Amino acid sequence: MKLRIPKVLAVGAVAAALMATTGCGGILSGGDGNASGDSGPIKIAAVIPLSGSSAPTGTYMKNGMQMAIDEINAKGGVLGRQLQFDPEDEACDPTQAAAAANKAVSNGAVVSVGGYCSGATLPTLPIFAKANIPMIIPAANSQELVNQKLPNVFLINGTGAQQSAAAVKFMAKDGVKSVALVDDNTSYSKDIASQTKKDLEAAGGIKVALATSVTAGESDYSSVVHDITGANPDMVYWTGYYQEGGLIINQLKAAGFKGKIMVADGSVDASLIEIAGGTNAEGVFATMTQTPDTIKGAETWIADYTKKFGSAPGPYSTQSYDAVRLAAEAITKAGSTDGDKIIAALNAIDGFELFSGPLKFTPEHTLSSGGFQILVVKDGKFTLHDDLS
Amino acid sequence: MTQLVWNGLFVGSFYALIALGYSMVYGIIKLLNFAHGDLYMLGAFIGYAMLSSVGIIPASMSITALLIVLLLTMIISGGIGVGIERLAYRPLRGSPRLAVLITAVGASFTLEYGVSAIAGPNPRVFPVRLQGQTFDVLGARVSAPQIVLMVIAVLLMLSLNSYIQRTSMGRAMRAIALDPKGSLLMGINVNKVITWTFFIGSALAGAAGVMAGAYYGKIDFLMGFIIGLKAFTAAVIGGIGNIKGAMLGGLLLGLLEAFGSQWLGGEWRDVFTFAVLIAFLTLKPTGLLGERVTERV
Repeated sequence: MKLRIPKVLAVGAVAAALMATTGCGGILSGGDGNASGDSGPIKIAAVIPLSGSSAPTGTYMKNGMQMAIDEINAKGGVLGRQLQFDPEDEACDPTQAAAAANKAVSNGAVVSVGGYCSGATLPTLPIFAKANIPMIIPAANSQELVNQKLPNVFLINGTGAQQSAAAVKFMAKDGVKSVALVDDNTSYSKDIASQTKKDLEAAGGIKVALATSVTAGESDYSSVVHDITGANPDMVYWTGYYQEGGLIINQLKAAGFKGKIMVADGSVDASLIEIAGGTNAEGVFATMTQTPDTIKGAETWIADYTKKFGSAPGPYSTQSYDAVRLAAEAITKAGSTDGDKIIAALNAIDGFELFSGPLKFTPEHTLSSGGFQILVVKDGKFTLHDDLS
Repeated sequence: MTQLVWNGLFVGSFYALIALGYSMVYGIIKLLNFAHGDLYMLGAFIGYAMLSSVGIIPASMSITALLIVLLLTMIISGGIGVGIERLAYRPLRGSPRLAVLITAVGASFTLEYGVSAIAGPNPRVFPVRLQGQTFDVLGARVSAPQIVLMVIAVLLMLSLNSYIQRTSMGRAMRAIALDPKGSLLMGINVNKVITWTFFIGSALAGAAGVMAGAYYGKIDFLMGFIIGLKAFTAAVIGGIGNIKGAMLGGLLLGLLEAFGSQWLGGEWRDVFTFAVLIAFLTLKPTGLLGERVTERV
């Protein structure tokens, strides 16, 4: 063992030297037209799902971002430089997300505006933090992202805690007496379910009849459906994604479940209604942040989007559009592409108009109000039911 | 209670149909064909493609249409299974067991992401959906489509069993399972028998895929992964290589899941199920009906 120590040291020294040189390279390359320098386009990265089961939402997000980028560039860009959009696919998979984030960093990203699946966004946090790249996360909203307490991470979607609060508020308002909470064991889903359980127990009055999990990616959920019908709650709150959500709604109805069903924002997708089949999804509630359809005064924006991409905007296209605008605003205010200055500018932002209202970050870098509202499936479409105000 | 038993048997019959293919292939060439679960997925997609190309099918015809599609899908997915064996496994016959095993994993990924590239990564909704009346049988809710699917599954399994027991091809399969070299010396065309084994196993998986698509309604390119693992578990519980064991194992696994979820809660269901698998592997590695096996992957 003794003989090996110098070897380890040597390897360490070489590694340190390498790191130093690459570090220097990073600084030096700034001068020769690299994006992290003072000339050339400013690179905006987005690590989002462009393949896999969340690809439809990823595409809405990408389009929303592209729209903001094009608008800003048409007006002359930021600090006299054009913005360059660099979307990277993460397929809602933590491993791919980490690789995509590393790629974005080495491509010279200045700000990251991605993040949809919380489970896949979580591993990208330290990667961007290390490179001191500010992250404006438009969709991912697990409390775990907030709990990392990283100075470079800002969330412009309501958090899991805010979503649970909205869910509990609506349950009380709707006169629900007992609830079954079902999650799919992912970070995002478990977060909302456990927070809702805590909130319900703290508030009292509404009984948690059942709190259980399913395995995502299966077809048969008869065992959980059996548990639910056995507990017979007034409402089932499903906090996972739409694929399993659709199947569970279908199987609950087939099993003769008569209570109410509510889903969280990951299940708000037209496919949920299609998978549930027939009229099974009619009357299903959803906790959701504002979508283009439910925002007042967004008609021109929707028309522009539809004209540009040939299809109507979907969930998170507005938040993604706002994330890019916010990034541009922060870079302008900072007067520089330096990470620390942009972070300071983001912290100082007060009253910047987003679709969800004027923005001011809380000390935790989240929205001061989540903006969650209740949607309901009516005539095969999600429509606004109650804005909880 | 009766509801749990019925749920378990229903899911278990899907596991059993897929487990049969695992078990037959393992019994004959000692290969764990990890691509087998993906043939189930492929079956679902082939059925989907056929049904959606026909256009709108009137509700009264849906069962007939489904049966025709089921039959065609079995032939096509059987053919694909044979093709996989030809391309990926036959050239490696005689090479170390691990090489073939890794090839099987490769074949599995090729099928999954091939379908994803062709049909897109988004889930599809099956054009024909079996929804029907529900009956009350001894306190359990049983629906008409469930009964139809159970009957199809049982018929497929029974005919397979009598095929293996009664025909000369079935006898050849059993002979190769016992002693491949000896069978070759006795004049059995081993390659032909193996091809046929892959055909039958893959056809059964394809049939299960169409049935799942029509019953549950949603198909996606990764749907074969978890059910493949579960079918493998079923095959091990029943005794891998044993046809009746695979059927028994499938049904038993379905029941284990139903009761595990009831007793321990949904989040512990898979823990319970796979703990049973580990217990079987350590205490009785030959499974319920398996014979003594000296070598294992």
